[in-house]
Amino acid sequence: MVEAMISDEAFIKGCAAIGAGLAVGLAGIGAGAGESGIGAAAVGAIAEDRGFLGLGLLFTVIPETIVIFGLVISFILMFAYG
Amino acid sequence: MLKPEKMIKVAVVGAGDKLSTVSETLYRMNLLHIETPQETDYFKIGTPMDKAGHFSRSLLQLRSYISHLKLDPTKLMVKRKYKRREIEEKLSMKLSEYQEKIGNRIEELKRINDSLKSIEAELSAMEPLKVLEIPPNLLKGYKSLRCFVGFVKADPSKDIEKATLDFDLIIKKFGEQYVMALFVRAEHGDEVYRILQGYGYKEIAVPDVDYESRTSELLKKKEELFEKKKKIEVEIEELKLKEAELILAIEEYLSSEVEKAELPLKTLTSKHTFVVVGYVPAKNFEEFKKELESQGMVVEQLKFEDHELPPTKLNNPGFTKNFEVLSKTYAIPKYKEIDPTILMAIFFPLFFGLMLGDMGYGLLITIVSLYLKTIFKTEGWQKLLNIGLACGISSIIFGFIYGEFFGPFRIPGTENPNEVHFVGDLIAGIYGFNHGHPLFDRVEEFGVKALLFIVLLIGMFKMVWGFSMGFYNVYVEHGLKEALLEKGCWIFGVLGLVCLIFGFSYNLGIFTSPPPNGFGEIFPKNLFVYGNTVSEARAVPLPIPGLVDGWQAGFNYFYLASLPLILLWLVIFLKAEIPKMGIFGAIMAVELLTWFGQIISYARLLAIGLSSVYIAFVVNYLSLKIGLEPGMAILPLAIVIMLIGHFGNFLLGILDPGLQSLRLHYVEFFTKFFEGGGREYSPFGRVKKFVEEEGGE
Repeated sequence: MVEAMISDEAFIKGCAAIGAGLAVGLAGIGAGAGESGIGAAAVGAIAEDRGFLGLGLLFTVIPETIVIFGLVISFILMFAYG
Repeated sequence: MLKPEKMIKVAVVGAGDKLSTVSETLYRMNLLHIETPQETDYFKIGTPMDKAGHFSRSLLQLRSYISHLKLDPTKLMVKRKYKRREIEEKLSMKLSEYQEKIGNRIEELKRINDSLKSIEAELSAMEPLKVLEIPPNLLKGYKSLRCFVGFVKADPSKDIEKATLDFDLIIKKFGEQYVMALFVRAEHGDEVYRILQGYGYKEIAVPDVDYESRTSELLKKKEELFEKKKKIEVEIEELKLKEAELILAIEEYLSSEVEKAELPLKTLTSKHTFVVVGYVPAKNFEEFKKELESQGMVVEQLKFEDHELPPTKLNNPGFTKNFEVLSKTYAIPKYKEIDPTILMAIFFPLFFGLMLGDMGYGLLITIVSLYLKTIFKTEGWQKLLNIGLACGISSIIFGFIYGEFFGPFRIPGTENPNEVHFVGDLIAGIYGFNHGHPLFDRVEEFGVKALLFIVLLIGMFKMVWGFSMGFYNVYVEHGLKEALLEKGCWIFGVLGLVCLIFGFSYNLGIFTSPPPNGFGEIFPKNLFVYGNTVSEARAVPLPIPGLVDGWQAGFNYFYLASLPLILLWLVIFLKAEIPKMGIFGAIMAVELLTWFGQIISYARLLAIGLSSVYIAFVVNYLSLKIGLEPGMAILPLAIVIMLIGHFGNFLLGILDPGLQSLRLHYVEFFTKFFEGGGREYSPFGRVKKFVEEEGGE
């Protein structure tokens, strides 16, 4: 039986690891979706005016915070149960 | 330092006939930021001096030459400066010389280009006729025949047969369409023409001469024109090399003369007097006053009213001046606001180093910056490269602390140092490396935890600091009550959040257990309201009554402290919002979560760094496995992988920490206190680059 082979502790550890992976991965997809629109607009603006390069890059990285949230959650999961 | 320079509002008053002397003096002193005046019944805005028209015409002409020659004064290094008198003497002579040597040549070039274009047009028009292989004299000049020469979209013979059988059609494929010559009797001409129109007929004008001879004639002419063009271009280029500085010096001279002559436009004049109103930096006021009064003017200090916005002159000493580029990109501070440049000069390189933290990459950035500094001499580049230099040095320092040089020397889970780094064995053999160095290892378990907590601590600190400065800014502008309602309440709110984060961390044992689970026993173990222990609290790190069973176990004094703070914030916040927004203002309290998010956002200081460490490690690991025994032992491939990998990581290592560090300032820090919207101080006059004022003038 599967239940007999996996201890409770290992099961929790495994779930925590999967959760941590999902946290980073899904947050990454979210940030990517957010950045895609800004990135496209920024490239358009830069094509019009090269001086916008710095600001455009900066705007593009703004949604990256979402990944950081995911990462922090995954750290906390791994610290607490890993 | 943290404030823009203090300004004094002044009015310069004098007799009308002195205006041109004043204009000279003000221009030379380059101190007065002139305000555009408003006309009154008595005082009118002046008219430009007589010389303005003449100078501005010359200037316009010269600028058109400059734009044609593509001279850029910011890119030219000055070898010699021209004396003012020298330019005045040469001015009219040089201007007519340029008219002749540059202006006329530019005209000539334009004519040549026009003829070249018409030759090209004629040549391309003859191409389809050549395909038909019929001499031009056979294509026109008939009395009883009508001849159509031109393009059609398809073969029209079927339709023409319906009109007349008596025709002759020569048709050839030409690109996407057909070129044809069609001969019909003159009486069928109009009918056939209508049919052809259905086929999209486009006529070609048939030249009188023979194609071959005409083509060779045109080609010859084209070549001649090309040579002439080249010759003129070379002549212009020679002139550019010889005269560039003088041209720019004359341009500078002329534009300063025009600006001086246009001073009356910024002046209020009556019949016999004039008034110029503007701002002077306080430290230069005495000098300014003395100089003008010695010339018989009256300089009066004015008070500025509340709604007036004096211009902002940023006042940052030495090295920190470089960072004005970064803070100005966000906004120019208002006159009374805090100028955050100096804070940026400290924290930007610090954050950059904290993220990148690698001696190898830091060294590369430093070397590249130093090298580029010798190539790009313009002010903007120098400033940017100085920032690069600061970031490079900061990365080296943090690289030493973390013990990384093109990647880490140790990685948890890999025992053999030779697999981790290309000098792993060598480093592992050094006594100091395992005894106290690295000072802080950010890849091992404790390192990650500790750094995470440290960067969040930085986040909390900067959040409170930002709101405190916002409090100060609002206090200066609108008084204590407004400051407390607008910014002060957030200080309490954020402090409440800080207590919550500390409480949570305490329950996880960060302040009580020894490494790798915490920092050791910083706080006593019994800070629990209900007398529990840390090990019990671990089960309920976030004690929310009603949501978690046995929440009492996790309720420590940090959580207790956060309650009054958050309550205080809520009361002040509602007091500020409800009068403005009504009951819905209460919903805005959700904003506190944003600040929580922004504190967490500082975790990027850890995350960006870790990702760069692991990329470097993977590159090293791969290339060592590929390059050396007992791996594949293909050394050249390993070296290529290593170079490409580190180069990519290096580029990422500049871009990402740079951007993220900038972002932490703009989004997480500046929004708390920095409004911007100031006007930049731009005094009447200009810094001379090519022209030299003579002494005593």
